[in-house]
Amino acid sequence: MTSIAPVRVDAPVVPAGTVPASQPPKGRKGLVVTLLLIVVALFWISPLALLVVTAVRPLSDFIGNGPLSWPDAFTWSNFKDAWGIGNFATTYRNSALLALMKVPLGVLVSAMLGFALAKLRMKFRRTVMFSVFLGLTIPIYITIVPVFIMMRSAGATDSLFGLLGPYLAFGIPFEVLVLQSFFRQIPDEIFEAARVDGAGDWRIFFTIVLPLSTPALVTVAILDAVATWNEFLFALILLNSDANKTIPVGLLNFQGQFANNNTGLAAGILIAVVPILIAYIVLQRWIVGGLTAGATKG
Amino acid sequence: MATVALTKPAKPKRGGKWSPWLFALPALVVYVAFLVYPALSSLWFSLTDWDGLSATYNFVGLDNYVKLPSDPVVATAVRNNVIWTVVTIAFPTAIGLALAVALNGKVHGKPVLRLIFYTPAVLPLVSIASIWGWLYNPQYGAINSFLRLIGLDGLAQPWLGQDSTALWAVMVPAIWLRTGFPMLLYLAALQGIPKELYEAATVDGATRWQQFWQVTMPSLRPAHYIVLALSLIDSFKVFDMIYAMTYGGPGTATQVMGTWMYANVFQYYQAGYGTAIAVVITLVAIAVGIPYVRSQTREAS
Repeated sequence: MTSIAPVRVDAPVVPAGTVPASQPPKGRKGLVVTLLLIVVALFWISPLALLVVTAVRPLSDFIGNGPLSWPDAFTWSNFKDAWGIGNFATTYRNSALLALMKVPLGVLVSAMLGFALAKLRMKFRRTVMFSVFLGLTIPIYITIVPVFIMMRSAGATDSLFGLLGPYLAFGIPFEVLVLQSFFRQIPDEIFEAARVDGAGDWRIFFTIVLPLSTPALVTVAILDAVATWNEFLFALILLNSDANKTIPVGLLNFQGQFANNNTGLAAGILIAVVPILIAYIVLQRWIVGGLTAGATKG
Repeated sequence: MATVALTKPAKPKRGGKWSPWLFALPALVVYVAFLVYPALSSLWFSLTDWDGLSATYNFVGLDNYVKLPSDPVVATAVRNNVIWTVVTIAFPTAIGLALAVALNGKVHGKPVLRLIFYTPAVLPLVSIASIWGWLYNPQYGAINSFLRLIGLDGLAQPWLGQDSTALWAVMVPAIWLRTGFPMLLYLAALQGIPKELYEAATVDGATRWQQFWQVTMPSLRPAHYIVLALSLIDSFKVFDMIYAMTYGGPGTATQVMGTWMYANVFQYYQAGYGTAIAVVITLVAIAVGIPYVRSQTREAS
């Protein structure tokens, strides 16, 4: 849906930190490369660092001393102002609500389709698979006019529920791609044994496939939550009133209102990205593992 | 006396011919209703003169498509789309590969460094646009302040506000955002190259530089393919970043097909024409993406 690009997860997703077995760093050369990388990393992260510094200083200090100076004074009031004027209590709630509805539902229906494609004898299997994967290439904007009309005639514009269908549909190709390739790794003997014991497809799905696939399901759910939290275009065209806006649309409005209040703007941007940053730092092993597992195997 | 099994083994339950479809149905219904059907009905709207508001509209055949080549903004948008695609693939891939090779060596603090380089990729595009819009601010932005600080006052300029720099100024954050993904992929792929290959090359007297081109690059071919395919698919979808940073401006300097489509539909009330623009770029995106989609399907069969 947004920046997260799909890659197959072939093997059970191992948290990335446990994989590399490279030798311990040693020697002067390693030190030089490390120092060089640290410089690049500081440069890389400097926009965010600057954002933090700016957000905690008074506006007068920012204007007086310039954006690159170290603050003379610190304050939390930028956050208070931004939180209120940016309507973040509402946009936070809406984005969270949307992710809570969308992610479990999307992962469940994608897992079901992925299971059918990977393990059940289904007619037109390849055709279905190709058509679903093709969805990865479709830009959202080809669908916005018809989706807008559809939602208007269903009375679902300006409602979080109206976003649910399009969000699910654009999440499905990636989720199915990852999950079906994971399900294919489960040995068929397990299914045969379960069938001999009288288990039907549904019982096999819920009691064997899903529990065995927890790592893949978690990875897909995290990436899907990030994409849902960040989605912009559908939210922009379908939501009108401030009470229903999500974080990205709310942030865009906020940016307009705070054009001349640099410190308040910095605080507002930080408010919008902090949850996703925390989630990323806490869950990064899953994200990294899920994104790269497909690359190691040809 | 032979004991005969009295009970036949339970007949494996197959769940019937329809069972797979019951699993497939929920996702397929949603997919068709909210992606396939809207995409196809856009094909129809692109053949009409609908303004996006009226209850009625006329079928105009291919008129909208015929108009496209003579629209100067479309020419700009196509050119910008091509520049965007080349630049936001070439730079992130090259920088990502360089970082991956460096990180794969004997380096301290690898997890933290990797975390930092991938961070921009998880941020909402709108927030990235806000951050960089703020850095580019002519008067209070950090970039101009820095230039003044090091005495290059002459270089300080309204980066997003003038035709000559706007497109490049929008691409810089895109590079910042898109470098993390190739870096992660290459890093994982590099860790999968057998050490023996390098040992053999060393025995043969290959220099580090030769080893990179003779051993590393060929071994990375699958990773190159994935990076290239996914970046191409992603590039054609560009919308959020440009919309949020410049709205296609100044003038039409940063228009791409996605933003020009949006402007036509929601600003100029030419839904039919705007949809035709979307159809064209989607067809290109599909054509570019099909080899990747086919390879994924083939592997799964």
